[in-house]
Amino acid sequence: MTLLSKPWIWAYLAAALTFVPTAMLSQGVGGAWELVLAALTFAAFSVLVGLGQMLVITMGPGNIDLSIPATMTLAGTLSLKYMDGAAGTGAAGLAVALAVGLACGAGNYLLIRLLRIPPIIATLAASFLYQSLAIWSNRGLRIKPPAWLADFATGAALGVPNVAVVAGLLAVLFWVLLERSVYGRWLSAIGQNQRAARLAGVPVDLVRMATYLISAVMAALCGFLLSCFSGGAALNMGAEYLLISIAVVVIGGSSIAGGNSNVPGIWGASLFLFLIVSMLNSYGLGAGVRLIMTGVIIIAIVAVASGSRRAS
Amino acid sequence: MKTRTKLLGAVVLLSAGLPVAGTADTSDKRIALSNNYAGNSWRQAMLQSWDKVTKQAVADGVVAAADAFTTAENQATEQAAQIQNMILEGYDAIVLNAASPTALNGAVKEACDAGIVVVSFDGIVTEPCAYRIAVDFKEMGRMQVEYLAGRLPEGGNLLEIRGLAGVFVDDEISAGIHAGVEQFPQFKIVGSVHGDWAQDVAQKAVAGILPSLPDIVGVVTQGGDGYGAAQAIAAAGREMPIIIMGNRQDELKWWKEARDANGYETVSVSIAPGVSTLAFWVAQQVLDGQKVPQDLTVPFLQINQADLDAALATTPEGGVANVEYTLEDAKKVIAGAM
Repeated sequence: MTLLSKPWIWAYLAAALTFVPTAMLSQGVGGAWELVLAALTFAAFSVLVGLGQMLVITMGPGNIDLSIPATMTLAGTLSLKYMDGAAGTGAAGLAVALAVGLACGAGNYLLIRLLRIPPIIATLAASFLYQSLAIWSNRGLRIKPPAWLADFATGAALGVPNVAVVAGLLAVLFWVLLERSVYGRWLSAIGQNQRAARLAGVPVDLVRMATYLISAVMAALCGFLLSCFSGGAALNMGAEYLLISIAVVVIGGSSIAGGNSNVPGIWGASLFLFLIVSMLNSYGLGAGVRLIMTGVIIIAIVAVASGSRRAS
Repeated sequence: MKTRTKLLGAVVLLSAGLPVAGTADTSDKRIALSNNYAGNSWRQAMLQSWDKVTKQAVADGVVAAADAFTTAENQATEQAAQIQNMILEGYDAIVLNAASPTALNGAVKEACDAGIVVVSFDGIVTEPCAYRIAVDFKEMGRMQVEYLAGRLPEGGNLLEIRGLAGVFVDDEISAGIHAGVEQFPQFKIVGSVHGDWAQDVAQKAVAGILPSLPDIVGVVTQGGDGYGAAQAIAAAGREMPIIIMGNRQDELKWWKEARDANGYETVSVSIAPGVSTLAFWVAQQVLDGQKVPQDLTVPFLQINQADLDAALATTPEGGVANVEYTLEDAKKVIAGAM
């Protein structure tokens, strides 16, 4: 019963529950394996943004990063423009993307801290700025990534997609950060009671700054990898990742009220979100039914997961 | 001084009364572009075409101004407010790419009542007082199946990639595709996903449905999704079906590479973003006092196997194949609809 009391188990159960009927439709063993690989690949991108959003949400009510899609777009656009498809620019391109992430995160935090704007407004306003910069810098032209980066992003090592390996390693790193580092303790303390944390000597402002920086850098990394994966940065490439980044945190068993986060659940929820769309598509349900069912199922999981948390 | 002004006024009056070729009459008119969205490469090309053509028109003295405005949030309410601002600012014509075919009708009616010419294109409005430059989206869907029937007389399974759910254009193209399948019953749509006209979204959706699909011979699309579909199908190690492309440069480039490698053949079809410039000239013609039917149809831009190299050469890297329209083109479209 200890396993069932873990808040993240529901995300994995839901993922399994959607996997089985989809795999049953697939053509033979190869088809089911193909589905596993596709799920790992696309879940990886959700995991990257989800991990960052999770840290932000952990800081408690009012903390949320709505600039994730714009940061992804800006990082993808600027880094691919910088590399311009040339060989030998991969590391520098990644550095450009991460620097964009740092700049966006710093911009968000400055708005929140200096102008004392609530994060939900500050990150939304900042995202207009980042999106406009992306439009202005390249006018929506899709520049191809260098060949080896495209091969890396779409390739696999020992049968596991490279992007899933990256997201897996980062998830482990985030788990260590949250559970074993003083930063993680501070973060949870702020989320549980910011005033108490401040009185106890937690450097609240420093932790908040670091958290918004990390979230933006993760979004930038996701934008960089997604651009390399899909053959170029598009202006609307981040659009669906705003809702996804919040959904994977909630479905994954992290508390939306903050103070309690859950790294394994991010992966489970990301796999689930990909598989449920695949399942409903595979059974040929229309867009309307698909959206309704996605909503209903997400609510059901959150209700069950939070119910079990209360019971324990 | 006074007599001089009077004289000048008389000259102006005289020249205004003269039956000139019908181009100078709009030189003091101001036209505004009300655009609901700018966040993808097609819309960016649309705005750039507008900028290029109207700047020249202003420099040539055809109109006094042609300003472009885009709303931030792609919301009908926001665009309605934008149109009301344009009415207050006293524009003579509003060229409109609408967020909704019906939700802006109130604002459009207000503009008409204020004596402003409203020309909607791409995202058209149903308000009768407005002019509509519509694309025959149904035909764009139907001809894809017809093309496939020409290539594969024995038929087979198709995968359909749709656009953004709930948008008028998506329903229209999809209805055309389904009409095409009825016309050529040897084809069967075995799967349908929404690709949101974005390569990365299409890639994700196709990768998710592929494992459950039998062999497919063709992929019918709406544009901006063909390259993503090709990537997903290649990643799954399946044999490449005929994917209908949508005039994006990365799609054309992929097609060219496949053609050079193994003789891959397909067709590409979409609307040229330069349709905004056609709408501009139509608005100018209406202001000029020409008789223009309320409903016009713009042909879509089709690229065949033989045109591929030429089309690729003129399409900007990472952009979309485009045509900018001239006054003569607009006159032809108007005459064709009479």
